[in-house]
Amino acid sequence: MLQITDLHAETAGKTILQGLSLQINAGEVHAIMGPNGAGKSTLAYTLGGRPGYEVTAGSATFDGADLLALEPHERAAAGLFLGFQYPVEIPGVSNLQFLRTALNAQKRARGEAELSGGEFIKLARAQANALGLDPEMLKRPVNVGFSGGEKKRAEMVQMGILAPKLAILDETDSGLDIDALRVVGQGINTIMRAPDKAVLLITHYQRLLDYVRPDFVHVLAGGRIVRSGGPELALELEREGYAEVAA
Amino acid sequence: MSLPLPSPRDEAWRWSDLSGLPALAEARPRGGVIDTSGLWLGCGGPRLLFVDGVLDEALSEPGPLGAGAVEVDSDHPLGRLARGAGWTLDLGKGHSPDATIEIVHVATGGASHVPARITLASEAQASIVETFVGDGWANRLTQVDLGDGARLMHAARLRQASGFTSLRIEGQVGTGASLVSTILAAGGAGTRIDAAVKLAAPGAFAEVGGALLARGGQRHDAAVTLRHEAPEGMSRQTWRAVADDHATASLAARVEVARHAQQTDGEQSLRGLLLRRTATVNLKPELEIFADDVKCAHGATVGELDRNALFYLASRGLPPLEAQALLTRAFVADALGRIGEAAVREAFEADADAWLGANP
Repeated sequence: MLQITDLHAETAGKTILQGLSLQINAGEVHAIMGPNGAGKSTLAYTLGGRPGYEVTAGSATFDGADLLALEPHERAAAGLFLGFQYPVEIPGVSNLQFLRTALNAQKRARGEAELSGGEFIKLARAQANALGLDPEMLKRPVNVGFSGGEKKRAEMVQMGILAPKLAILDETDSGLDIDALRVVGQGINTIMRAPDKAVLLITHYQRLLDYVRPDFVHVLAGGRIVRSGGPELALELEREGYAEVAA
Repeated sequence: MSLPLPSPRDEAWRWSDLSGLPALAEARPRGGVIDTSGLWLGCGGPRLLFVDGVLDEALSEPGPLGAGAVEVDSDHPLGRLARGAGWTLDLGKGHSPDATIEIVHVATGGASHVPARITLASEAQASIVETFVGDGWANRLTQVDLGDGARLMHAARLRQASGFTSLRIEGQVGTGASLVSTILAAGGAGTRIDAAVKLAAPGAFAEVGGALLARGGQRHDAAVTLRHEAPEGMSRQTWRAVADDHATASLAARVEVARHAQQTDGEQSLRGLLLRRTATVNLKPELEIFADDVKCAHGATVGELDRNALFYLASRGLPPLEAQALLTRAFVADALGRIGEAAVREAFEADADAWLGANP
């Protein structure tokens, strides 16, 4: 589904990714772990197409198409979802209005029928309930006044509504207490654990992986993947630290 | 006849572009059959249709409204040009029409000058929506006198495709009375909005605000003065100015508090949004306070759309123009949200949406 080959990327004039390669197939959950400054968020933003992150070499294809040639909104319509470490607050725009506009824009781009107001509300309520987010919060402006945990739950509600093929979740566990971590973990499993979907979890800590069990774990250091393995690698990292494992 | 127009060298007019007015004043309206479908909100209340400044009696249902010569007196450079036939609303004590009054002004080129006088006796109430469409120069003077406890809700949507719309509102608000005027400029014409409202008696409330949306080479310009002349008055000015391309949107908002107007509560919020760096927003907040026990809050900021928010919306699938429209709509929402009646507010929001080109 996602094939990254020898990816080099820079931001603010500094080369961060230095030859990263990774293959993710449908039905797989991958975790990328790494110390601060390893390039974790740069990888997420580069794949999402954030302005200011420039690819200088290498390639990334998504379902066979050149991902890097697409605009950010086209990547979303193609089935990519980027979960933000710091979800953005948007005063004056309600979650419902935002998500309905987003979902229908994606559907339009794919040549699918758009959802009516009623159909959308039903979908949004169901997804909010599944993630333990009070559906009333969907009437409030996007992320404004939400606690850290509520923002992450809201991100998962967005993911549930938009139903992507591939979710790249950047530090989704940061700012979560243990209960929220469980809810979010279950949400990821429910929404994304399917034969035709895949997940790339980007995380500093192992704790989210107690709830979302990865098929593959990779260690990112110095802008490239230095080691790959199964779920046991995450435990080894937790036990011995990055310095030891990445060395 | 030469048209006596203010010069841009005059401080109060320095952001205005009146250069097209002499030609419009000389031009003759094309007239013809007017299609008014889609112009009425369907409030079911009294309505007046003015075509090139002339009342169309067949398509009007005046109810309590009067039509004909209006006695007005203004020294405003544009307002004083509006003389002769116009409309009036004169409500006796405690009177209130059942539904919102609608006034539609259609212009077919040329210039039209229409005066209006609104007089509400004590405890009377009215809601008036004005819609401006077409092209040419529509120049209006509206004088408002509110008795004790009277309430006037006024909203104007300036949707002319081209030409120029100039509004001058002069008001006097009595004890515990309330005047709320919300203006949306969302067409292709240039505009000049002038308002001077006196909070003349204790406990008066006055609010004048709205949204100016400018693109291309358009110029929108609002100059509002709210003057507190008595104690315990409250005034609000919430304006949002959006400018794209090479357009200019300008706001000059002034609050005056006379020496004996103690316990005045004034609030001003002027915000500008540049959709392109070639556009211009001018903001000029002014406070002139002679009383010592007053609360006057004011804020004036100009900015661009938040890049983080734009990327966040894009990452969820919104194309750039839709993302920009959604954030811009949110930006003007505060100002349009001041309109109390849902049907009127929705119509104004729909106009703003149409301007933004999103979600028809």
